[in-house]
Amino acid sequence: MFNKTNASEHPLNRRNFLKMSAAAAAAGICPILQPGVLWSAEGGILKIRDYSDIKSLDPSFFLSVPEENINACIYNKLIAFKPGRKWEWELQAAKSIQQVDPTHITFELREGIMHSGGFGEMTAEDVKYSFERVADPANKSPNIDDWGPLEKVEVTGKYTGTIVFKSPFQPVWWTTLPYTTGNIISMKATEKVGGKYSNDPPSVNGPYMLKEWKPNQRTVLTRNPVWKGPKSYFDEIRIFPIDDEKTAEIALESGDVDFTRLSIPSLKNYTKTPPKGAKTEKFPSLYWLWMGMNQDNEVLKDKRIRKAIQMALDRKTIVEAAYFGFAEVANGNVPAGLLGHREKTTLPDKPDYDGAKKLLTEAGYPNGLDLTLDVLNKSTFNTIAQVIQAVLSPAGVRVQINIHDSGAFWVLGSEKDSDRWKSIQLIVGRFSGVPDPSYYTRWHLSSQVGIWNWERFSNDEYDKLDKAALGETDQEKRAAMYVRMQELLEESGCVTFITNEVIPVAYRDDIKPAFRPDGTPLLRNFSKI
Amino acid sequence: MWIYLAKRTSLAVVIVIIAISLLYSMILMVPGDPTAVILGPRSTPEMREALRADMGLDRPAIVQVGSFILRVFKGDMGTDVFTNRPVSQIVFEQLPYTMILIFAGISWAIVLGIPLGCYSALNRNSFIDKLTGVFSVGTIAIPAFVIALYGLLIFAVHLQWLPAIGAGEEGDLVDQIKHLILPAFAIGLGWVGYLSRLVRASMLEVLGENHIRTARAFGLPEKLIVFRYALKLAILPTVALMGVGVGYLLSSSVFAEIVFARPGIGKLIYESVLTRNYPIIMGSVLITTIIFVLCTMMADIINAILDPRMRENL
Repeated sequence: MFNKTNASEHPLNRRNFLKMSAAAAAAGICPILQPGVLWSAEGGILKIRDYSDIKSLDPSFFLSVPEENINACIYNKLIAFKPGRKWEWELQAAKSIQQVDPTHITFELREGIMHSGGFGEMTAEDVKYSFERVADPANKSPNIDDWGPLEKVEVTGKYTGTIVFKSPFQPVWWTTLPYTTGNIISMKATEKVGGKYSNDPPSVNGPYMLKEWKPNQRTVLTRNPVWKGPKSYFDEIRIFPIDDEKTAEIALESGDVDFTRLSIPSLKNYTKTPPKGAKTEKFPSLYWLWMGMNQDNEVLKDKRIRKAIQMALDRKTIVEAAYFGFAEVANGNVPAGLLGHREKTTLPDKPDYDGAKKLLTEAGYPNGLDLTLDVLNKSTFNTIAQVIQAVLSPAGVRVQINIHDSGAFWVLGSEKDSDRWKSIQLIVGRFSGVPDPSYYTRWHLSSQVGIWNWERFSNDEYDKLDKAALGETDQEKRAAMYVRMQELLEESGCVTFITNEVIPVAYRDDIKPAFRPDGTPLLRNFSKI
Repeated sequence: MWIYLAKRTSLAVVIVIIAISLLYSMILMVPGDPTAVILGPRSTPEMREALRADMGLDRPAIVQVGSFILRVFKGDMGTDVFTNRPVSQIVFEQLPYTMILIFAGISWAIVLGIPLGCYSALNRNSFIDKLTGVFSVGTIAIPAFVIALYGLLIFAVHLQWLPAIGAGEEGDLVDQIKHLILPAFAIGLGWVGYLSRLVRASMLEVLGENHIRTARAFGLPEKLIVFRYALKLAILPTVALMGVGVGYLLSSSVFAEIVFARPGIGKLIYESVLTRNYPIIMGSVLITTIIFVLCTMMADIINAILDPRMRENL
């Protein structure tokens, strides 16, 4: 049992928690409704580039990060990620929050958070409504897993309630409460529009409100007049959906946007010659990139072949070539800084071609073998595929690269869609992540075979560990479980971890940005120098 | 002429129906599950199955095509799967941006290309003619997106004379024009070359014909001969080309709209293809096909007005 009253940081352990509890004594440092917290001379317009247009501002139907970037400005959560380089959260709409036992979390809301449009004050009923509607299968939310085994939210007072789980669910502190399905919306307003909405929120409660959404052009946020909390710096935030990173970089240099994410090749160029009037920074990302091998494929079902390929795969060269030396080789899928990060690998530092050839010969391929490698049609992945082709060649593995667009690629291993999963051999996969290890390991559960587990890896120990780790409150034990799961994945030969990538960003030098540790902008915290 | 118009219009309707049927079938054949893209990686197979049924994707392809065409005749192009907005609303919101861009691009190409072609024909082998030749081939060979990128680097980044992205503030005409200059320049530049080459070749052919020689023998002023008798005929292939050219400009506008992060039908189609947003793809393609067919039809009609012999050729 532990108690969280002000802030938390990752990795969580008892010692860290005690520190946080001590910090909680200073809970008044950043109270959400303390109007005295003002920037020195706020105002103006912040212009942001995001990589796609918004699809739904209903947190239950969230699909991509650009939506959460806006949701984080127009709604409040009980707890929110704290800007900085360390994974921490701080209280936002909650005055206090406590895990009273492994399946119960009690909370108390701050008073006076108002919903716009005359929908009154935020109450525990709104919290119950917001969370339960995501978890209710009848509502068909694609984010239903965020709430895991949520049973209900009990309202115990106007501002107080208890979140009740059927079984312990630790990811709630990192993937749910401070993320998009942790956003609290107005029950009255949402029910008034039929219980569901898209890009036209009927009411908001954060420092900003939606002023305008012009599809394909921009989304404009303006100050929410009923917001009584700490005032954000900018009067207006304009978010431009620009898919092409080069265009975004030009827009930054010409002053048309104040902030954008960069491409890796541009980071290389900008490191030599910084963009005019702008600064660059890089962050460790939450993505994970790996090379997968389909163990149900006729050729790859022999583990010796998979192990031979792992031995020959020069991961360092791949990362150097594709990320220009800015990213690190990963030994697991859980990124550094998160609980469950795996420091060491059993794979050789340098490719062992002799060992690989020996294994291939034992498996009946003394003259090597031909394999296909399926990748997404993005320049980084194409580079990775070409390097894999080159580095496997000395071991006698001849690779043919198949490039697919996103619509075609993401269904390759899906049994529901076609029989192509049978012919998949090697793939370069890349998944996004959230700051909890469970999100990284869940895709290779036996239940995911034919859905997202294209390697068709299946292991009882792995499945049992996943279930146990979700409810393990001892953070050291939990971390060890996830490390073991990554070992099992690698040991099977199905997955070879390559990198967790980096996120480079650039912003105008008069902007004082605020980021999560993975470089995701926290727009309501942006200000000017 | 009325019979010609009726025949040409019927042909246009048939072309649109065939084109849409073909496009729909091709889109359905492209591998990829739209529901996986729409609902994201966290969706369950059951959710995807339900959405597939909602979108009518579980029905045979022929039924889907037929039902789409029937709905279109009733004025219903479907609903966007992400936002639940009517497709017609989304498409018609974006269409004006593309049409303005195409109009601006082709307009400046006409204003510069046709006089250049005339001048080159009338001053054959002169320095300007040779220069125009080199310029034309050069501009035709350079893809629109390269021109767009260099335009951005020079005029938006280095000189900062023009904005880099967007379509400008609504209601601010000057701002909108500023945002239009670079994209229109990018998609129109190649057309200056095409038009000048085509007009030059046609003019040279017409200027060598008997009726021009007769006109000159009668002592008619050169300006009258060029603009009234020669250009009227020499412009015919250009008019036909312009009809087809709208189709090419629609393609170029995709690049321009992506590079300049400008709203428009091209960008809408591009993003919809990536997300397998079938209703939007079909709605957008239907409208662009109709525009293209209308433009070629108009070009044919103008040609038929200018040259009555064309009416017999349908």
